Amino acid sequence: MSIKSRSQRQELAMLLPAVIFLIALIVVPFALSIWFSFTDQRLVPRPIPTKVIGFTNYLRMFDDPLFWQAIWNTVLFALLVVPFQLAISLGAALILNAAIPFRSVFRAIAILPLLLPMTVIVAIWAVLFRIPNGPLNAAYQWFAGSGNYVDWIGNPSTAMVSIVVLSAWATFPYQMLIYLAGLQDIPQDLYEAAKLDGAKSWQRFRYVTWPGLRNVNIFLLIITTIGALKLFTQVNILTKGGPNGATTTIIQYLFQQGYATQKVGYASAVAVFFFLAVTAIALLQRRFLKNEGEA
Amino acid sequence: MKQTLYAGVALAACLTSSHALAGQLTAWVIDGESEKPYFTQLEETFNAKYGAQGTTLDVVPIPSYNEAIQAATLANDLPDIIMLDGPNMASVAWAGTIQPIGDLIDPEIVADLLPAIKDQGTYGPAGEFYFVSPYDSGTILWGNKALLEKAGVRIPTTVEDAWTREEMRDALEKLAALPEVEWPLDVKMNYGAGEWMTYGFSPLAQSNGGDIIDRTTWVAEGTINSAANVETLTEIQTWNKNEWIVPASAGDNKFYGEKTAALSWVGNWMWPAHREGLGDDLVLIPPPNFGAAGPVSANGGWGWAVPTSSTNLEDVKLFLNYAMSSEQVAAYADTTGYVPSRTSAIPLSATYGEGGEGEIFAKLADCCAVVRPVHPAYPVITSAWSQAVVNILSGDVDVKAELDRAAQTIDQDIADNDGYPPFGE
Repeated sequence: MSIKSRSQRQELAMLLPAVIFLIALIVVPFALSIWFSFTDQRLVPRPIPTKVIGFTNYLRMFDDPLFWQAIWNTVLFALLVVPFQLAISLGAALILNAAIPFRSVFRAIAILPLLLPMTVIVAIWAVLFRIPNGPLNAAYQWFAGSGNYVDWIGNPSTAMVSIVVLSAWATFPYQMLIYLAGLQDIPQDLYEAAKLDGAKSWQRFRYVTWPGLRNVNIFLLIITTIGALKLFTQVNILTKGGPNGATTTIIQYLFQQGYATQKVGYASAVAVFFFLAVTAIALLQRRFLKNEGEA
Repeated sequence: MKQTLYAGVALAACLTSSHALAGQLTAWVIDGESEKPYFTQLEETFNAKYGAQGTTLDVVPIPSYNEAIQAATLANDLPDIIMLDGPNMASVAWAGTIQPIGDLIDPEIVADLLPAIKDQGTYGPAGEFYFVSPYDSGTILWGNKALLEKAGVRIPTTVEDAWTREEMRDALEKLAALPEVEWPLDVKMNYGAGEWMTYGFSPLAQSNGGDIIDRTTWVAEGTINSAANVETLTEIQTWNKNEWIVPASAGDNKFYGEKTAALSWVGNWMWPAHREGLGDDLVLIPPPNFGAAGPVSANGGWGWAVPTSSTNLEDVKLFLNYAMSSEQVAAYADTTGYVPSRTSAIPLSATYGEGGEGEIFAKLADCCAVVRPVHPAYPVITSAWSQAVVNILSGDVDVKAELDRAAQTIDQDIADNDGYPPFGE
């Protein structure tokens, strides 16, 4: 037996556990959902046989105004939350990277939201959003006068923005940590050189920090977008997609179809569409944003 | 982590070893704090009575009950007796998971059941009896006496003198004018789109002569979006626009905590909280009379069913007749606070008997409760209706269009399942 084939066999053996898990837990379920999407599969057993119904699920999905509303809401959420969340993450990272007193204490405090489960965060924010005299409305009444309040999550025009703020707060520390690592990767001598050239702090950010974060930015843009497109927990607990569908997202729609009304075949069609859409968006982002050093 | 894993494996092993042995019954029950003392009592007294004859009962509370039942169904590993939630029974019966129990239960007991409880257990075009609940639930208008008196509103005490729709509208208007009242009526919008919207709002529709599906043809079109339902929901939508209904984001406690709401439309499970919050100011007001059909109360709850796989039927028969005896039914009600499901058990209950503080609940369960549709499409029916109700109460939404959409969703589902045979044959 040649050395090469033995080492190949060893490599294969080491890969095997991971490959088996990937196939069993990701590839097979996904293949099944592609298959289910062409059938009228139900969640619970039933006495009539499951039928293959061709593209019926897809046609109905494209014909359902609620589906399009869910798509639009999801896109809107991503468009709002991604820049907002990345901006506060970068802002926080810049502050916590500067030589401020008690820096490690502030760093520890800043990542606290990451330690809370989303369900707990939503419960806390539900209290903040409470009308007529929850904490946010108490603040609002300072400006608008007592007796006035905003039903943040109950009003179609503010519900989505409220979910955006909540979501950004809940998950920004993750992006912040990656920015922090990215900032520490930028060589100090670049800043020193810029200072010698007389660059002001804004110019140092614009011409040293920002280009230095290019790879980090691309990575964060892609994963934050994918995360945003998967919005579900906050919405499912706080608004159940309401008011009047203003916060229904694709995953919320999928969950509703698959579990509440038990149409697994239909929900699978939504899942397949969602997978293709997210993949396409991620590929487009990669296509237009090249990492440093890539052609 | 490891320990949880072992505990899970051990639990699974215990659960899978629940195969029927002659003389040994296993019943899976819901794992609720308020039910636990009752189930302990049931097991002890049953074994004391029948243990000597060689029949013993093991009552097992199951956490995450619905998932456990689903898993055991797929694994064909259900015990002799299970509990089901009333509205889910039809799906389970349609799937063939449970068997008829009409022959296993004393005809006297069936004849003694409250009418809506009998309806809740009766499944399919053949009208066979599949399911029996020891208790009933109900909705009522809870009132804050001090606020109602201050507003000069008449407080009905019996079903006969229930408010009409106009009277209720008038009462809400007067209550809204009180300085201490913020939103006069709490209808639990904070429960969100879910079963409550069907449980709580279909009685109002039925009171006005509407329903959520035709119960003989099983067609939603023309019933769920009927003129009567449009009228009912437009009325409630107007109340919401007038700011008479507590919004979802205002929380749960406006009626019993902050006391800025004067009325609350909710089920008997809120009784302890209401009693504690309002004390002597709490009044129980019958459901409003919205129109043609008079006051209607909601109905239903968990009950006993027998899996098709269960073969130990002689012992199951002993169990069902024991658990549904008047004494046991009264004990279930007194332990959990729900209404006894047998007419003969009601006088035995301290709360619901003649002169008891919950007498009106027992009366409503007897006269005016309407069961939710006993049909395998129920998950879709309830989802479509509750979504429509929540949307209609979210603002200036076209009531008819919402109900039309619900009708289409339901009828589509029924067609997709070939009419759910033997229904529609």
